[in-house]
Formats: sequence, structure tokens, C-alpha cells
Amino acid sequence: MTETTASRQILTPKRVEMLREYVPFIAIALVILMFWAISGDRFMSMRNWTFIAQQTPVLMLLAFAQLMVVTTGSIDISIGSSLAFSAFLGALGMLWFGDAGLILGVFAGGLVGMVNGLIISLLKIPSFVTTLAMLIIVRAVVIIVSDGTAIYITDGSVSGGTNISSVTAPWLLSMGKFPAIFIIAAIVALLTWIFYEKTVFGQQLRAVGGNEKVLRLVGINVTTFKIKVFAAAGLMVGLAACVNLARAGAATPQAGLMIELDAIAAVALGGTPLTGGYGSVVKTIIGAFTLTIVRNGLTIAGVPPSWSQVALGVLLIAAIAISLNRSKVDVVK
Amino acid sequence: MNDQAVQPLLSVENVSKSFGGVQALRDGTFELHRGEVLAIVGSNGAGKSTLIKVVAGAHVPDGGRIVINGKEVPRAEHSVSHMQECGIEVVYQDLALVPNMTAPYNLFLGRIPRKLGIFVDERKMREKTREVLAQLNVTTVQDLSQPISSMSGGQQQSIAIGRAIAWGSDIVILDEPTAALGPNETAEVERLVEDVRERHGTSFILISHNLDQVRRLADRIVVTHHGVTSREFRRDEITSDRLVKAITLGE
Ligand SMILES: Nc1ncnc2c1ncn2[C@@H]1O[C@H](COP(=O)(O)OP(=O)(O)O)[C@@H](O)[C@H]1O
Ligand SMILES: [Mg+2]
Repeated sequence: MTETTASRQILTPKRVEMLREYVPFIAIALVILMFWAISGDRFMSMRNWTFIAQQTPVLMLLAFAQLMVVTTGSIDISIGSSLAFSAFLGALGMLWFGDAGLILGVFAGGLVGMVNGLIISLLKIPSFVTTLAMLIIVRAVVIIVSDGTAIYITDGSVSGGTNISSVTAPWLLSMGKFPAIFIIAAIVALLTWIFYEKTVFGQQLRAVGGNEKVLRLVGINVTTFKIKVFAAAGLMVGLAACVNLARAGAATPQAGLMIELDAIAAVALGGTPLTGGYGSVVKTIIGAFTLTIVRNGLTIAGVPPSWSQVALGVLLIAAIAISLNRSKVDVVK
Repeated sequence: MNDQAVQPLLSVENVSKSFGGVQALRDGTFELHRGEVLAIVGSNGAGKSTLIKVVAGAHVPDGGRIVINGKEVPRAEHSVSHMQECGIEVVYQDLALVPNMTAPYNLFLGRIPRKLGIFVDERKMREKTREVLAQLNVTTVQDLSQPISSMSGGQQQSIAIGRAIAWGSDIVILDEPTAALGPNETAEVERLVEDVRERHGTSFILISHNLDQVRRLADRIVVTHHGVTSREFRRDEITSDRLVKAITLGE
């Protein structure tokens, strides 16, 4: 009796509310402690953390793209295919125009995003359906354009045969390694934080997710805004694709398969409700790291890949069940 | 001189609007004078909200004229921003505020001040918000970083009305501003309206189902029935009986 009243006093609604805010941070701390306890130094080594730091950036940038879209209350599931498409065009750009041609990869992502936005806004087709269709179409386009073969980035030490396409760009390969890749990711993260928290555009993302009808009534052009949001998210996917190209050393037609799901999971692990209106760049970063660490930790602990996928799914549901503030979400669909 | 005094601030003439097959508004006609509170009453679905959305620029009318200060609003320029430039602001029923955003954001809705072209000028927003709240004698809103959904209905409505008057508009339209409020909060909103009218000479168009409130606040009352503004009363000729009859029967 006394115990329950005591625990009731400790868990006042206000405190629960505050605690919820910290779920992503608590989750990542617990996950790290758990794997440290299980695998000891094999997990907590410089080498492993370097690996994690190298592994996370692409997912993190994709999660940023997803965050922007999700904050407005929409979703983008085309990003896996868009990543492959952008990486391929980035590599092609380098073949055609030299190093600077890589920028084509960023624009390719922006183009896919803009097409998403145009279809959603002008044809009024829900984002889920539109981007699902684009997921399928863009992947097919990549396979057609690439003819099923990859473009390799080489450091020039081995000269490729004439029948495989390759680009010699040692600088790009070194950008894909720790610490360069980590520094790039940190800079992008900082800029994204400023963009999301401090600009009128970032603020409008949340407002559109809150109630876009109100914005329309005061004369804000929500339609063009949404097209810009998808285009901006697409540019971010394009950037992620270039980073992925650097890290993987190749643009393959299979790149980024299923990674859209990881990006959504990272956003959700960051405590962002998929219903829109709220979100946090910092917590999305935490979410991306949590996802990478869990996958890495389970592998080191010797858990077979399929079981580690099951564990990830359970973690996702648990994190959202705890962090979701149901008073902010009136309808669960 | 005499002519000037008689010219209405806003004149709405035979305005109509339909949505697909639904004729929401068949004939909206009324005048609004400077410093006046005009009430629009009518049963649900009578077309009141549609009428004021046309006046606010949110809907382009199918027919009719809107004249502001003697100047007709051309069809091609019929937009929210044009009506705002003409000094018309609206507090919409259910759609006045963005619930997950702060009081300053909602006050500046549609006119967020910028720094360096892209950044939100948060300081300016907070300062202006405090100024407006003080002007309205609203002391209960303290924490300006909270989303307004965490505030009481009365506080939210104060911010919505604050938004409408903050920019020196001549005409403020209130669509059922107290429908969701308790008696104390309703009194608070009524005080706000009287206060603003007295101090700034602002004209109000008030849509309300609360007939006592209408009789307390309004100088004139327009009754809307099946999309037609059918009947008009002056303050001194209103009895509740006649009003109810006009609302339900159109006469
Ligand atoms: N955007 C719209 N689309 C279709 N029908 C509408 C729309 N807005 C209002 N209506 C219809 O027009 C009629 C008048 O509505 P409204 O102006 O909201 O009435 P009131 O505010 O007097 O209750 C109703 O039958 C309503 O269903
Ligand atoms: Mg209405």
C-alpha cells in the first residue's frame, strides 16, 4: 500500500512526460551497456567503434531525409531505390565529367524527391502509395540503366579490365573511411540541426504536420511547400548516396535494398511520431546509432542474422510503445 | 462629409458560392460600419462559415460583389493575402491555430519574421507576443515555448484573437469564438472584444449560436437561413423570440 503510493508520487504525469523525452538516450545507453556486458572488449574496442562510426553515417543521412518528410505527416519509402539511382548517377557523372560529376548523384536524389512531391501534391495521391510506386519504378530504372552491372571506384593500384566500368578516385575512397566519413556526417548533422530547428522552413515542417488546413486558410501555399520538402529530402538522399558510394567503393544496382525501412526505424527510435508535427534531429541521430549498434552488437554476440532482425523489430515496438505520448495522437491507424 | 460617414467599411452584395452540387451560400448580403459589431446568426449549415470564408478571401465567390472602403475587390485579386492587406483578419471556427506550435508562432501565423532571409526571428516573435498579450490583459499565458495544445481553451482563443488584432486590422471576423468555452472563458473573450473595439475602433463580425451573447455584443444582427441572409435586426428591436423565429423559419 505504502509502496504503491510512493511509486505513484514518483511517477507523476509530468515526470513520465519528461522521462519519455529521454527514452532514446536511455535506450542507447542500455543497449551499449548490454552488449558491453555480453561481449566485453570485442564490442567495446576502438576497432569496433570505428566500424560503427563508419557504418552509421549513410543511415543517419537517410534518417534525416525521412525525418523532414515524417514531420510534415507524410512518409517516403522510395529512398532505398533513390539511393541506388543517385549513387549510380554520381558514378556515371564521374565517368563523364570527372570528379565534379559526383554532384550529379545529389541532384538525382533531388529529382526523385521532386517527382514524389509533384505526384503527391498535384495528383493528390497519398505519400505512402506514391513513394511505394516510386520505390518499384526507380529500382527498375536503375537495373535497366546499369544493365545489371556495377560501376567501381578504384584507387588506381589495380587497372580494371576494359569490360568493367570503373572510375579512379582515391580521394573518394578515403572520404568513405573513418575519420573523414564521420567528420562529413557530423557537419551534415550540424547543418541539418540548424535547418530543422532555426529556419522558417524547418518550423513550417512541424506546422504542416500539425494542421495544414490552418496554414492554407491563412494563405500559405502548402502545395508548393510539400514539393519543396520532398525535393529537399531527395537532395539529402542524394548526398547519402554519394557517401555510400565512397564507403562501398561501388555503385551497384542492389544498393540500399530495404534501407528505407531502417531509415523509418531510426526516425521512430528517435521518438518522432510518424503522425507528424513533432521531431528532433538529435534524437534521430541517436536512433540511427542505436540501430547500427544493435545490429553490430548482435553480430558480435554471435546471434544469427535472421534472429537479430527479430530482435530489432522487438526493440522498435518496445521503444515506440514507451516513448509514444498517446495524448498527442488522437487516432491510431 | 455626410456621405463619407455613411459609406460602409465593408459591403457584401449578393455573394454566392457552391461546392460541387451543394449551394452553401445563395445570397449573402450585409454591410459593416466602422467600429460596429455585426452578428451573423443562423442554424448549422446555413452558410455562415462559407460567407465569412468568402469575405476572408479563402473562397472565391461564384457571384456577387465585395466592396471595401468603396473599392470593389476584383475577382482576380480575391485572395487571403489581398483581404489581409485590406485589413480583414479571421479567427476560424476549429481552424484558428496550429495546435503543436507555440503561442508566438500562432500569433505570427502566415507572417513569420525572418533574419538573414531564412532564419526565424524568435526574439522579435517573443517580444511582440508579450506586447500583444499585455495589450489584451491576458496574464495567464506565461510559458511561450509550450505548444498551445497544452493551454486552456480560453487561453487559446485569446491567442487566436490576439493574432487577428495584432496587425492593426480594421475588421476582425470571429467564427463561433466561444462555442467550445466554459462560462468564465466566454466572459473573458467577450471582454476582449468590447475592449478592442473601444480602444482601437475595430469592427467585428461575430458568428455565434449564443443569442444572449449576440444581444450583449452586437449593434446589428443578420440572420442567415438556407444560404440567404434573410433578415436584419437593430440592437433595440431584438427580442429572443423574434430571433429564434427568424433563425428557424427564415422570417
Ligand atoms: N468546403 C466545402 N465543401 C463542400 N461542402 C461544403 C464546404 N463548406 C461548407 N459546405 C457545405 O455548405 C453548407 C454550409 O456550410 P457552412 O457555411 O459551414 O454552414 P454554417 O457555418 O452556417 O454551419 C453545408 O451544407 C456544408 O456541408
Ligand atoms: Mg460554421
